[in-house]
Amino acid sequence: MSEKMIHRHTRLSIFMHWFNAFCWFALLLTGLGLIKNEQLNPVGAWLPNLMRSLFGGGETLLMVHQYLGLVWAGVFLAYVLFKRRETWVFLKEVFTVSPASDMLWLAKMNLKMTLGRKGLQRFGLTPDLPPQGFYNFGQKVFAQASVVGGIVIVTTGLAMFFSTISMDNPEPVAWSRVIHYLTVGLVFAGLLVHIYMAAISREERPAFMSMFTGSVPEHYARHHHPLWHAQVATEKDKDD
Amino acid sequence: MKKYAMVIDSSVCIDCKACMASCKVQNNVPHGYWRNWIKHTIPDFSQGPLTRTHFQPGGCMQCDNPTCVQACPSGATYKDPQNGIVHVNEALCIGCGNCIKACPYGARFRHPDKRVPDKCDFCFSSGRLERGLLPACVDTCPTKARVFGDLNDPDSDASRLLRDKPTVRVLARGGIDTKPNMYYVAATAPTDWVDEVEFPGAFTALASLVNPVVKVAVGLSALGVAVMWAKQIFSPDKEESEHESSAPGKD
Repeated sequence: MSEKMIHRHTRLSIFMHWFNAFCWFALLLTGLGLIKNEQLNPVGAWLPNLMRSLFGGGETLLMVHQYLGLVWAGVFLAYVLFKRRETWVFLKEVFTVSPASDMLWLAKMNLKMTLGRKGLQRFGLTPDLPPQGFYNFGQKVFAQASVVGGIVIVTTGLAMFFSTISMDNPEPVAWSRVIHYLTVGLVFAGLLVHIYMAAISREERPAFMSMFTGSVPEHYARHHHPLWHAQVATEKDKDD
Repeated sequence: MKKYAMVIDSSVCIDCKACMASCKVQNNVPHGYWRNWIKHTIPDFSQGPLTRTHFQPGGCMQCDNPTCVQACPSGATYKDPQNGIVHVNEALCIGCGNCIKACPYGARFRHPDKRVPDKCDFCFSSGRLERGLLPACVDTCPTKARVFGDLNDPDSDASRLLRDKPTVRVLARGGIDTKPNMYYVAATAPTDWVDEVEFPGAFTALASLVNPVVKVAVGLSALGVAVMWAKQIFSPDKEESEHESSAPGKD
Protein backbone atom coordinates (compact mmCIF):
# COMPACT_ATOMS: atom_id res chain seq x y z
CA MET A 1 0.00 0.00 0.00
CA SER A 2 1.43 3.26 -1.10
CA GLU A 3 -1.22 5.20 0.76
CA LYS A 4 0.28 7.81 3.07
CA MET A 5 -0.82 7.27 6.67
CA ILE A 6 -1.37 9.89 9.32
CA HIS A 7 -0.90 9.13 13.01
CA ARG A 8 -4.23 9.40 14.84
CA HIS A 9 -4.21 7.39 18.08
CA THR A 10 -1.44 6.54 20.54
CA ARG A 11 -1.12 2.96 21.74
CA LEU A 12 -2.38 4.04 25.14
CA SER A 13 -5.50 5.61 23.58
CA ILE A 14 -6.14 2.41 21.67
CA PHE A 15 -5.71 0.37 24.83
CA MET A 16 -8.08 2.66 26.75
CA HIS A 17 -10.66 2.38 23.97
CA TRP A 18 -10.70 -1.40 23.91
CA PHE A 19 -10.37 -1.70 27.68
CA ASN A 20 -13.42 0.56 27.92
CA ALA A 21 -15.27 -1.44 25.27
CA PHE A 22 -14.62 -4.69 27.14
CA CYS A 23 -15.68 -3.19 30.49
CA TRP A 24 -18.85 -1.67 29.04
CA PHE A 25 -19.83 -4.94 27.45
CA ALA A 26 -19.12 -7.01 30.56
CA LEU A 27 -20.69 -4.46 32.91
CA LEU A 28 -23.78 -4.19 30.71
CA LEU A 29 -24.29 -7.96 30.68
CA THR A 30 -23.62 -8.46 34.40
CA GLY A 31 -25.70 -5.38 35.21
CA LEU A 32 -28.68 -6.56 33.18
CA GLY A 33 -28.23 -9.94 34.83
CA LEU A 34 -28.80 -8.30 38.21
CA ILE A 35 -32.27 -7.07 37.23
CA LYS A 36 -34.16 -10.23 38.04
CA ASN A 37 -37.50 -8.51 38.65
CA GLU A 38 -39.81 -9.35 35.75
CA GLN A 39 -41.46 -5.95 35.92
CA LEU A 40 -38.13 -4.21 35.37
CA ASN A 41 -35.93 -6.46 33.24
CA PRO A 42 -35.92 -4.99 29.74
CA VAL A 43 -34.85 -8.17 27.91
CA GLY A 44 -36.68 -10.89 29.78
CA ALA A 45 -35.90 -13.49 32.42
CA TRP A 46 -33.52 -15.55 30.28
CA LEU A 47 -30.61 -13.14 30.65
CA PRO A 48 -30.59 -12.88 34.47
CA ASN A 49 -31.06 -16.66 34.62
CA LEU A 50 -28.23 -17.28 32.17
CA MET A 51 -25.86 -14.84 33.90
CA ARG A 52 -26.62 -16.33 37.31
CA SER A 53 -25.96 -19.82 36.00
CA LEU A 54 -22.68 -18.69 34.44
CA PHE A 55 -21.46 -16.89 37.55
CA GLY A 56 -22.86 -19.37 40.05
CA GLY A 57 -25.45 -17.13 41.66
CA GLY A 58 -26.70 -13.57 41.91
CA GLU A 59 -24.32 -12.67 44.74
CA THR A 60 -21.24 -13.62 42.68
CA LEU A 61 -22.67 -11.72 39.73
CA LEU A 62 -23.11 -8.64 41.91
CA MET A 63 -19.56 -8.94 43.20
CA VAL A 64 -18.11 -9.25 39.67
CA HIS A 65 -20.20 -6.28 38.50
CA GLN A 66 -19.14 -4.13 41.44
CA TYR A 67 -15.43 -4.91 41.34
CA LEU A 68 -15.18 -4.74 37.55
CA GLY A 69 -16.89 -1.36 37.76
CA LEU A 70 -14.35 -0.23 40.34
CA VAL A 71 -11.44 -1.45 38.16
CA TRP A 72 -12.94 0.34 35.15
CA ALA A 73 -13.34 3.60 37.08
CA GLY A 74 -9.92 3.17 38.69
CA VAL A 75 -8.11 2.77 35.37
CA PHE A 76 -9.76 5.90 34.01
CA LEU A 77 -8.95 7.78 37.19
CA ALA A 78 -5.32 6.73 36.80
CA TYR A 79 -5.35 7.89 33.17
CA VAL A 80 -6.73 11.28 34.18
CA LEU A 81 -4.14 11.63 36.97
CA PHE A 82 -1.11 10.53 34.97
CA LYS A 83 -2.11 11.94 31.59
CA ARG A 84 -3.49 15.31 32.63
CA ARG A 85 -2.47 17.08 29.45
CA GLU A 86 -3.95 14.42 27.14
CA THR A 87 -7.14 14.39 29.20
CA TRP A 88 -7.43 18.15 28.96
CA VAL A 89 -6.82 18.15 25.21
CA PHE A 90 -9.42 15.43 24.74
CA LEU A 91 -12.04 17.15 26.87
CA LYS A 92 -11.42 20.49 25.18
CA GLU A 93 -11.76 18.87 21.78
CA VAL A 94 -14.99 16.99 22.45
CA PHE A 95 -16.71 19.78 24.36
CA THR A 96 -15.86 22.51 21.83
CA VAL A 97 -18.79 22.84 19.45
CA SER A 98 -19.96 25.44 16.95
CA PRO A 99 -23.73 25.08 17.14
CA ALA A 100 -24.75 26.51 13.75
CA SER A 101 -22.47 24.44 11.54
CA ASP A 102 -22.65 21.40 13.83
CA MET A 103 -26.43 21.24 13.68
CA LEU A 104 -26.25 21.54 9.91
CA TRP A 105 -23.66 18.77 9.87
CA LEU A 106 -25.88 16.58 12.02
CA ALA A 107 -28.97 17.14 9.86
CA LYS A 108 -27.07 16.53 6.61
CA MET A 109 -25.26 13.50 7.99
CA ASN A 110 -28.57 11.96 9.09
CA LEU A 111 -30.05 12.45 5.63
CA LYS A 112 -26.91 11.24 3.92
CA MET A 113 -26.71 8.06 5.99
CA THR A 114 -30.38 7.18 5.58
CA LEU A 115 -31.44 8.61 2.21
CA GLY A 116 -28.10 9.03 0.47
CA ARG A 117 -26.83 11.88 -1.61
CA LYS A 118 -29.99 11.92 -3.67
CA GLY A 119 -31.96 12.41 -0.48
CA LEU A 120 -29.85 15.43 0.35
CA GLN A 121 -30.49 16.88 -3.09
CA ARG A 122 -34.21 16.31 -2.73
CA PHE A 123 -34.12 18.62 0.28
CA GLY A 124 -32.18 21.14 -1.79
CA LEU A 125 -28.95 20.46 0.11
CA THR A 126 -25.47 20.02 -1.31
CA PRO A 127 -23.74 16.72 -0.46
CA ASP A 128 -20.76 18.39 1.19
CA LEU A 129 -20.71 18.52 4.98
CA PRO A 130 -19.41 21.37 7.16
CA PRO A 131 -15.69 20.63 7.73
CA GLN A 132 -14.89 18.70 10.91
CA GLY A 133 -11.88 18.66 13.22
CA PHE A 134 -10.22 15.72 14.98
CA TYR A 135 -13.69 14.48 15.91
CA ASN A 136 -16.82 15.07 13.89
CA PHE A 137 -19.89 16.37 15.69
CA GLY A 138 -21.44 12.91 15.98
CA GLN A 139 -18.31 11.57 17.63
CA LYS A 140 -18.25 14.60 19.91
CA VAL A 141 -21.82 14.09 21.05
CA PHE A 142 -21.14 10.45 21.83
CA ALA A 143 -17.86 11.32 23.59
CA GLN A 144 -19.70 13.93 25.67
CA ALA A 145 -22.37 11.39 26.58
CA SER A 146 -19.66 8.88 27.49
CA VAL A 147 -17.78 11.34 29.72
CA VAL A 148 -20.84 12.79 31.49
CA GLY A 149 -22.59 9.41 31.54
CA GLY A 150 -19.46 7.70 32.85
CA ILE A 151 -19.19 10.15 35.73
CA VAL A 152 -22.88 9.72 36.60
CA ILE A 153 -22.68 5.92 36.32
CA VAL A 154 -19.59 5.73 38.54
CA THR A 155 -21.04 8.13 41.13
CA THR A 156 -24.34 6.27 41.41
CA GLY A 157 -22.50 2.96 41.30
CA LEU A 158 -20.31 4.02 44.22
CA ALA A 159 -23.41 5.04 46.19
CA MET A 160 -24.81 1.53 45.68
CA PHE A 161 -21.45 -0.08 46.46
CA PHE A 162 -21.11 1.78 49.76
CA SER A 163 -24.78 1.30 50.65
CA THR A 164 -24.36 -1.76 52.82
CA ILE A 165 -20.86 -0.73 53.93
CA SER A 166 -21.41 2.69 55.36
CA MET A 167 -24.68 4.36 54.36
CA ASP A 168 -27.39 4.61 56.97
CA ASN A 169 -30.03 6.17 54.72
CA PRO A 170 -31.14 3.88 51.88
CA GLU A 171 -33.06 6.57 49.98
CA PRO A 172 -30.11 7.83 47.85
CA VAL A 173 -29.26 4.22 47.03
CA ALA A 174 -32.73 3.49 45.64
CA TRP A 175 -32.59 6.62 43.49
CA SER A 176 -29.00 5.93 42.45
CA ARG A 177 -30.18 2.74 40.82
CA VAL A 178 -32.85 4.65 38.90
CA ILE A 179 -30.29 7.17 37.60
CA HIS A 180 -27.68 4.44 36.97
CA TYR A 181 -30.13 2.49 34.83
CA LEU A 182 -31.39 5.57 32.96
CA THR A 183 -27.88 6.76 32.15
CA VAL A 184 -26.69 3.36 31.00
CA GLY A 185 -29.79 3.07 28.81
CA LEU A 186 -29.23 6.41 27.12
CA VAL A 187 -25.50 5.86 26.58
CA PHE A 188 -26.29 2.40 25.21
CA ALA A 189 -28.69 3.97 22.70
CA GLY A 190 -25.78 6.13 21.53
CA LEU A 191 -23.45 3.13 21.55
CA LEU A 192 -25.58 1.37 18.93
CA VAL A 193 -24.95 4.23 16.51
CA HIS A 194 -21.26 4.34 17.46
CA ILE A 195 -20.84 0.63 16.72
CA TYR A 196 -22.71 0.92 13.44
CA MET A 197 -20.73 3.92 12.25
CA ALA A 198 -17.39 2.42 13.22
CA ALA A 199 -17.69 -1.27 12.53
CA ILE A 200 -20.40 -1.58 9.90
CA SER A 201 -20.66 1.57 7.79
CA ARG A 202 -18.24 1.64 4.89
CA GLU A 203 -17.56 5.35 5.17
CA GLU A 204 -15.85 5.22 8.53
CA ARG A 205 -14.00 1.95 7.99
CA PRO A 206 -10.59 3.68 8.05
CA ALA A 207 -11.45 5.17 11.47
CA PHE A 208 -12.30 1.66 12.71
CA MET A 209 -8.99 0.34 11.43
CA SER A 210 -7.16 3.20 13.15
CA MET A 211 -8.44 1.84 16.47
CA PHE A 212 -6.07 -1.07 15.82
CA THR A 213 -3.24 0.46 13.81
CA GLY A 214 -3.26 3.98 15.21
CA SER A 215 -3.22 5.74 11.86
CA VAL A 216 -5.59 6.70 9.05
CA PRO A 217 -5.01 7.13 5.30
CA GLU A 218 -4.35 10.72 4.35
CA HIS A 219 -7.27 10.93 1.94
CA TYR A 220 -9.61 9.80 4.71
CA ALA A 221 -8.29 12.51 7.02
CA ARG A 222 -8.61 15.15 4.30
CA HIS A 223 -12.20 14.25 3.46
CA HIS A 224 -13.61 13.32 6.83
CA HIS A 225 -11.63 15.55 9.18
CA PRO A 226 -10.40 18.43 6.97
CA LEU A 227 -9.77 20.86 9.84
CA TRP A 228 -7.64 18.29 11.65
CA HIS A 229 -5.88 17.39 8.40
CA ALA A 230 -5.06 21.03 7.79
CA GLN A 231 -3.74 21.37 11.33
CA VAL A 232 -1.56 18.26 10.99
CA ALA A 233 -0.24 19.54 7.65
CA THR A 234 0.71 22.95 9.10
CA GLU A 235 2.44 21.35 12.07
CA LYS A 236 4.35 19.12 9.69
CA ASP A 237 5.41 22.11 7.61
CA LYS A 238 6.67 23.78 10.77
CA ASP A 239 8.62 20.67 11.70
CA ASP A 240 10.13 20.60 8.23
CA MET B 1 -42.63 -28.92 48.51
CA LYS B 2 -43.71 -27.36 51.74
CA LYS B 3 -45.90 -24.38 52.47
CA TYR B 4 -45.11 -23.15 55.93
CA ALA B 5 -47.72 -21.05 57.68
CA MET B 6 -48.74 -19.96 61.13
CA VAL B 7 -52.21 -20.36 62.59
CA ILE B 8 -52.66 -18.23 65.68
CA ASP B 9 -55.32 -18.37 68.35
CA SER B 10 -54.99 -14.78 69.49
CA SER B 11 -57.71 -15.21 72.12
CA VAL B 12 -55.33 -17.22 74.31
CA CYS B 13 -52.42 -14.78 74.00
CA ILE B 14 -51.57 -13.30 77.39
CA ASP B 15 -49.10 -10.72 76.06
CA CYS B 16 -46.20 -12.30 77.94
CA LYS B 17 -43.86 -11.40 75.04
CA ALA B 18 -41.91 -14.64 75.42
CA CYS B 19 -42.19 -15.10 71.65
CA MET B 20 -40.54 -11.75 71.05
CA ALA B 21 -37.76 -12.40 73.55
CA SER B 22 -36.97 -15.90 72.31
CA CYS B 23 -36.90 -14.65 68.71
CA LYS B 24 -34.39 -11.97 69.64
CA VAL B 25 -32.16 -14.48 71.37
CA GLN B 26 -32.40 -17.13 68.66
CA ASN B 27 -31.79 -14.75 65.75
CA ASN B 28 -29.47 -12.18 67.35
CA VAL B 29 -31.93 -9.41 66.57
CA PRO B 30 -30.15 -6.12 67.36
CA HIS B 31 -31.09 -3.91 70.28
CA GLY B 32 -34.21 -1.86 69.63
CA TYR B 33 -35.50 -4.04 66.76
CA TRP B 34 -37.98 -6.93 66.63
CA ARG B 35 -38.75 -9.57 64.04
CA ASN B 36 -42.14 -10.33 65.56
CA TRP B 37 -44.67 -8.56 67.73
CA ILE B 38 -47.78 -8.63 69.85
CA LYS B 39 -50.29 -5.94 68.92
CA HIS B 40 -53.09 -5.05 71.30
CA THR B 41 -56.43 -3.26 71.28
CA ILE B 42 -56.84 -0.05 73.24
CA PRO B 43 -58.81 -0.93 76.38
CA ASP B 44 -61.96 1.06 77.03
CA PHE B 45 -61.80 1.61 80.79
CA SER B 46 -65.32 3.05 80.94
CA GLN B 47 -66.43 -0.58 80.83
CA GLY B 48 -65.25 -0.97 84.41
CA PRO B 49 -64.75 -4.60 85.39
CA LEU B 50 -65.73 -5.69 81.86
CA THR B 51 -62.78 -3.83 80.35
CA ARG B 52 -60.99 -6.13 77.90
CA THR B 53 -57.82 -6.07 75.82
CA HIS B 54 -57.21 -8.41 72.91
CA PHE B 55 -53.65 -9.41 72.12
CA GLN B 56 -52.54 -10.36 68.64
CA PRO B 57 -49.19 -12.08 68.02
CA GLY B 58 -47.73 -11.59 64.56
CA GLY B 59 -44.67 -11.34 62.35
CA CYS B 60 -43.80 -11.62 58.68
CA MET B 61 -46.80 -13.28 57.05
CA GLN B 62 -44.71 -14.98 54.30
CA CYS B 63 -47.31 -13.75 51.79
CA ASP B 64 -48.17 -15.64 48.60
CA ASN B 65 -48.44 -12.27 46.85
CA PRO B 66 -45.38 -10.68 48.45
CA THR B 67 -45.20 -6.98 47.60
CA CYS B 68 -41.71 -6.83 49.16
CA VAL B 69 -40.50 -9.34 46.56
CA GLN B 70 -42.21 -7.39 43.79
CA ALA B 71 -40.42 -4.20 44.90
CA CYS B 72 -36.97 -5.83 44.83
CA PRO B 73 -35.19 -5.29 41.50
CA SER B 74 -32.49 -7.92 41.91
CA GLY B 75 -34.33 -10.84 43.43
CA ALA B 76 -32.35 -10.48 46.66
CA THR B 77 -35.66 -10.84 48.44
CA TYR B 78 -37.49 -13.88 47.12
CA LYS B 79 -40.11 -16.41 48.00
CA ASP B 80 -38.58 -19.83 48.44
CA PRO B 81 -40.47 -22.24 46.16
CA GLN B 82 -39.41 -25.13 48.42
CA ASN B 83 -41.16 -23.93 51.58
CA GLY B 84 -42.95 -20.65 50.89
CA ILE B 85 -40.68 -18.65 53.19
CA VAL B 86 -39.75 -15.14 52.03
CA HIS B 87 -35.96 -14.90 52.35
CA VAL B 88 -33.38 -12.13 52.07
CA ASN B 89 -30.16 -12.97 50.22
CA GLU B 90 -27.94 -10.59 52.15
CA ALA B 91 -25.01 -10.96 49.72
CA LEU B 92 -27.12 -9.92 46.74
CA CYS B 93 -28.95 -7.11 48.55
CA ILE B 94 -27.63 -3.57 48.13
CA GLY B 95 -29.80 -2.21 50.93
CA CYS B 96 -31.98 0.14 48.90
CA GLY B 97 -34.91 -0.17 51.32
CA ASN B 98 -37.59 -0.77 48.64
CA CYS B 99 -38.90 -3.95 50.28
CA ILE B 100 -39.14 -2.36 53.70
CA LYS B 101 -41.45 0.33 52.35
CA ALA B 102 -43.47 -2.08 50.23
CA CYS B 103 -44.48 -4.28 53.17
CA PRO B 104 -47.84 -3.09 54.54
CA TYR B 105 -47.27 -5.01 57.79
CA GLY B 106 -44.01 -3.28 58.68
CA ALA B 107 -42.53 -6.76 59.06
CA ARG B 108 -39.08 -5.66 57.87
CA PHE B 109 -36.46 -3.38 59.33
CA ARG B 110 -33.06 -2.31 58.10
CA HIS B 111 -30.43 -4.06 60.18
CA PRO B 112 -28.36 -1.27 61.74
CA ASP B 113 -25.00 -3.03 61.22
CA LYS B 114 -25.56 -5.19 58.14
CA ARG B 115 -27.64 -2.44 56.46
CA VAL B 116 -29.79 -5.04 54.75
CA PRO B 117 -33.40 -5.87 55.58
CA ASP B 118 -34.04 -8.26 58.42
CA LYS B 119 -37.25 -10.16 59.01
CA CYS B 120 -38.85 -13.30 60.36
CA ASP B 121 -38.08 -16.40 58.28
CA PHE B 122 -39.75 -18.89 60.63
CA CYS B 123 -36.26 -19.45 62.10
CA PHE B 124 -35.08 -21.00 58.81
CA SER B 125 -31.69 -19.26 58.74
CA SER B 126 -31.03 -20.11 62.38
CA GLY B 127 -31.25 -23.76 61.37
CA ARG B 128 -34.13 -24.70 63.69
CA LEU B 129 -36.38 -26.05 60.92
CA GLU B 130 -33.53 -28.14 59.54
CA ARG B 131 -33.07 -29.73 62.94
CA GLY B 132 -36.78 -30.49 63.16
CA LEU B 133 -37.44 -27.78 65.75
CA LEU B 134 -40.31 -25.33 65.72
CA PRO B 135 -39.64 -21.62 65.28
CA ALA B 136 -38.41 -20.18 68.58
CA CYS B 137 -41.55 -18.11 69.14
CA VAL B 138 -43.83 -21.14 68.64
CA ASP B 139 -41.67 -23.34 70.84
CA THR B 140 -41.71 -20.75 73.63
CA CYS B 141 -45.37 -19.73 73.63
CA PRO B 142 -46.76 -20.89 77.03
CA THR B 143 -50.42 -20.82 75.93
CA LYS B 144 -49.76 -22.30 72.50
CA ALA B 145 -51.32 -19.31 70.80
CA ARG B 146 -48.87 -19.68 67.92
CA VAL B 147 -49.19 -22.87 65.88
CA PHE B 148 -46.73 -23.55 63.07
CA GLY B 149 -46.82 -26.10 60.29
CA ASP B 150 -46.80 -27.17 56.68
CA LEU B 151 -50.14 -26.51 54.97
CA ASN B 152 -49.29 -29.05 52.27
CA ASP B 153 -49.16 -31.73 54.96
CA PRO B 154 -52.77 -32.47 55.95
CA ASP B 155 -51.62 -33.91 59.28
CA SER B 156 -49.65 -30.87 60.44
CA ASP B 157 -50.97 -28.95 63.45
CA ALA B 158 -51.47 -25.88 61.31
CA SER B 159 -53.41 -27.78 58.63
CA ARG B 160 -55.63 -29.44 61.24
CA LEU B 161 -56.40 -26.18 62.98
CA LEU B 162 -57.09 -24.45 59.70
CA ARG B 163 -59.45 -27.26 58.70
CA ASP B 164 -61.30 -27.52 61.98
CA LYS B 165 -61.72 -23.88 62.93
CA PRO B 166 -62.95 -20.82 61.12
CA THR B 167 -60.08 -18.39 60.59
CA VAL B 168 -59.52 -14.80 59.49
CA ARG B 169 -56.52 -12.98 58.10
CA VAL B 170 -55.35 -9.45 58.77
CA LEU B 171 -55.21 -7.73 55.40
CA ALA B 172 -53.64 -4.57 54.03
CA ARG B 173 -55.88 -1.56 53.60
CA GLY B 174 -56.63 -0.30 50.11
CA GLY B 175 -57.69 -3.51 48.43
CA ILE B 176 -54.40 -5.23 47.60
CA ASP B 177 -54.49 -8.72 49.12
CA THR B 178 -50.92 -9.84 49.71
CA LYS B 179 -52.28 -13.33 50.52
CA PRO B 180 -50.62 -13.65 53.94
CA ASN B 181 -49.88 -17.10 55.34
CA MET B 182 -50.82 -16.14 58.86
CA TYR B 183 -54.29 -17.16 60.00
CA TYR B 184 -56.11 -16.14 63.17
CA VAL B 185 -58.60 -18.54 64.70
CA ALA B 186 -62.21 -17.25 64.85
CA ALA B 187 -61.49 -13.53 65.03
CA THR B 188 -58.75 -11.13 66.02
CA ALA B 189 -58.08 -7.53 66.88
CA PRO B 190 -56.72 -4.98 66.22
CA THR B 191 -56.93 -4.95 62.42
CA ASP B 192 -56.55 -1.24 61.71
CA TRP B 193 -52.78 -1.15 62.14
CA VAL B 194 -51.93 -2.51 58.67
CA ASP B 195 -50.93 0.08 56.06
CA GLU B 196 -51.83 0.26 52.43
CA VAL B 197 -49.46 -1.39 49.98
CA GLU B 198 -47.34 1.46 48.75
CA PHE B 199 -44.47 0.92 46.35
CA PRO B 200 -41.59 3.35 46.96
CA GLY B 201 -41.18 6.29 44.58
CA ALA B 202 -37.82 5.04 43.32
CA PHE B 203 -39.41 1.76 42.27
CA THR B 204 -42.42 3.36 40.59
CA ALA B 205 -40.17 5.79 38.72
CA LEU B 206 -37.99 2.93 37.49
CA ALA B 207 -40.90 0.72 36.46
CA SER B 208 -43.27 3.22 34.90
CA LEU B 209 -41.06 6.06 33.65
CA VAL B 210 -37.36 5.23 33.28
CA ASN B 211 -37.84 1.75 31.86
CA PRO B 212 -40.15 2.92 29.02
CA VAL B 213 -37.90 5.93 28.31
CA VAL B 214 -34.84 3.69 27.97
CA LYS B 215 -36.75 1.24 25.78
CA VAL B 216 -37.91 4.04 23.47
CA ALA B 217 -34.43 5.59 23.27
CA VAL B 218 -32.73 2.27 22.50
CA GLY B 219 -35.54 1.36 20.11
CA LEU B 220 -35.25 4.61 18.15
CA SER B 221 -31.49 4.25 18.01
CA ALA B 222 -31.77 0.67 16.78
CA LEU B 223 -34.33 1.79 14.20
CA GLY B 224 -31.92 4.48 12.96
CA VAL B 225 -29.13 1.93 12.68
CA ALA B 226 -31.43 -0.47 10.83
CA VAL B 227 -32.39 2.24 8.32
CA MET B 228 -28.74 3.20 7.75
CA TRP B 229 -27.75 -0.43 7.34
CA ALA B 230 -30.59 -1.12 4.92
CA LYS B 231 -29.60 1.96 2.93
CA GLN B 232 -25.98 0.82 2.78
CA ILE B 233 -26.99 -2.64 1.58
CA PHE B 234 -29.75 -1.80 -0.87
CA SER B 235 -28.84 1.61 -2.24
CA PRO B 236 -25.23 2.52 -1.52
CA ASP B 237 -24.08 5.88 -2.88
CA LYS B 238 -21.92 5.16 -5.91
CA GLU B 239 -19.43 7.90 -5.22
CA GLU B 240 -18.81 6.47 -1.79
CA SER B 241 -17.97 2.99 -2.98
CA GLU B 242 -15.68 4.39 -5.65
CA HIS B 243 -14.15 6.64 -3.08
CA GLU B 244 -13.43 3.65 -0.87
CA SER B 245 -11.73 1.54 -3.47
CA SER B 246 -10.05 4.36 -5.34
CA ALA B 247 -6.49 5.43 -4.96
CA PRO B 248 -5.84 8.60 -2.98
CA GLY B 249 -5.93 11.95 -4.62
CA LYS B 250 -8.72 11.06 -7.01
CA ASP B 251 -11.18 13.61 -5.72
